[in-house]
Amino acid sequence: MKADVTVIGGGPGGLVSALFAKRNGAKKVLILEREDELGGILKQCIHNGFGLELFKKDLTGPEYAERLIDDINKEGVDYMLDTMAIHLSNERTITAVNSKYGVFNIEPKSIVLAMGCRERARGNIVIPGTRPAGIYTAGVAQRFINIDGYLPGKKVVILGSGDIGLIMARRLTLEGAKVKGVYEIMDHPGGLKRNIVQCLNDFDIPLYLSHTVIEIKGKDRVTGVVVAKVDGKMQPIEGTEEFVKCDTLLLSVGLIPENELSKEANIEISSNTKGPVMSETMETTVPGIFSSGNVSVVFDLVDYVAETGVIAGKNAAAFAKEKKENKKFINILPGKNVGILFPHRYSYGDDLILFLRAGKWIERPVNIEIKPLNMKMRRLYTRPNEMIRIKILKDKLLSVKDDITVSIKEVER
Amino acid sequence: MIKHFTCVICPIGCEIDVEENGDKVISMKGNKCARGKEFVIQELKEPMRVLTTTVRIKGAEFNMLPVRTDKPIPKRLIPITMEDLAKIEVNAHVKMYKVIVKNIAGTKVNIIATRSM
Repeated sequence: MKADVTVIGGGPGGLVSALFAKRNGAKKVLILEREDELGGILKQCIHNGFGLELFKKDLTGPEYAERLIDDINKEGVDYMLDTMAIHLSNERTITAVNSKYGVFNIEPKSIVLAMGCRERARGNIVIPGTRPAGIYTAGVAQRFINIDGYLPGKKVVILGSGDIGLIMARRLTLEGAKVKGVYEIMDHPGGLKRNIVQCLNDFDIPLYLSHTVIEIKGKDRVTGVVVAKVDGKMQPIEGTEEFVKCDTLLLSVGLIPENELSKEANIEISSNTKGPVMSETMETTVPGIFSSGNVSVVFDLVDYVAETGVIAGKNAAAFAKEKKENKKFINILPGKNVGILFPHRYSYGDDLILFLRAGKWIERPVNIEIKPLNMKMRRLYTRPNEMIRIKILKDKLLSVKDDITVSIKEVER
Repeated sequence: MIKHFTCVICPIGCEIDVEENGDKVISMKGNKCARGKEFVIQELKEPMRVLTTTVRIKGAEFNMLPVRTDKPIPKRLIPITMEDLAKIEVNAHVKMYKVIVKNIAGTKVNIIATRSM
């Protein structure tokens, strides 16, 4: 099977990539989606707060998805549902499987990876105890409630204060479950402030910082969990253990980009972002394979996912047309107080949109410094749970020869 | 009485302390801008929220249809609204933004579908 651009994954990153590949001149654009409809995780995110940056509107997840899917259909982008990409080669051959064609190969001129991310589960954080029913990741519980119409439990403890966990605390409460508390191992909440206020405070759900679950109890069904305070090294403090009765434990303990296919194609994976090493054109280290959205790095906002899709789609279309390989790169390196930094290198092909997370909480004025550009940006604070976006125009970068370093410095009083 | 609010108008999230006397604001501190003041005054008067939830749907691929209020409703009416919506079942096919319930709980606000199904 041939295509100009093939996009692996039909969530927001993939949909926007496909749209912009098509709008930039790629004739045959094909999306491969393993589920039975397009839209990805947006379909189960029924809460509002999406689209404020891109659409200048406060949309729910399903509305956001349907707008994109309408555009996909209008512009004649092809897609295959119930189709799983099972292998990817560094020669840009995708092996996929579905019930119509069996196992088949697609040889597109360029590829956009848009596989998204998956939730960390109990195995990732190693909670001791029994293995009863009633332990779910927050996203699985969200699917049960919002799409299938099942309440996963009546008395719920939530471990982790990531945004999905907070959203689910509200959702479970609205549907009649009792959320006994949200327990966060860090001394700061993981999710955005507006979610702490509107999902927990609005419903009087307690948030316990510097706490974790140290044991799960129950034989057939969860009967409770043991929680404890943790010290500065996140180790449980003896004598602070407390039994909390519940029938359900939800885990909201982080997301991991899903890069099994990327690794098969020998794409270099960054230990910083846990996704492909990428340039500002959203190209990975394998020419002609681009990446967009949460498979690249876990973003806070779907609008940021969409923004990477716009760039990936445009550049995938250009590669399908001319097959131009970038040879010249400078690195983009995290400096002081910078945790996650994306993308990883600059190839003089496009404007540079930096996404970064602070390495620590600084609740006082800071400067974000970008060297050797002598750019300095003042901010009132930096928080690791709020991604920062900085756009630098190509014109400013053309004369830069040395690696770029981004750091966050506290402003001297 | 002193009440505490976290402003959610922008990502800064100012922690605002307000001294009030029934319906009168005596003093306010912690807000970095005027929008924070407006937010607190509205929260004191009548907190308003957009409610997003689901209703049962028959004859569709999935069991639940996502819906929301088309305008914010008073927070205190959320429980009764949820009870009203629990009694509802709609039939496929529904277009996005179709009105599912008019004037929910006497609020003059409508419940609308947030996807086609």
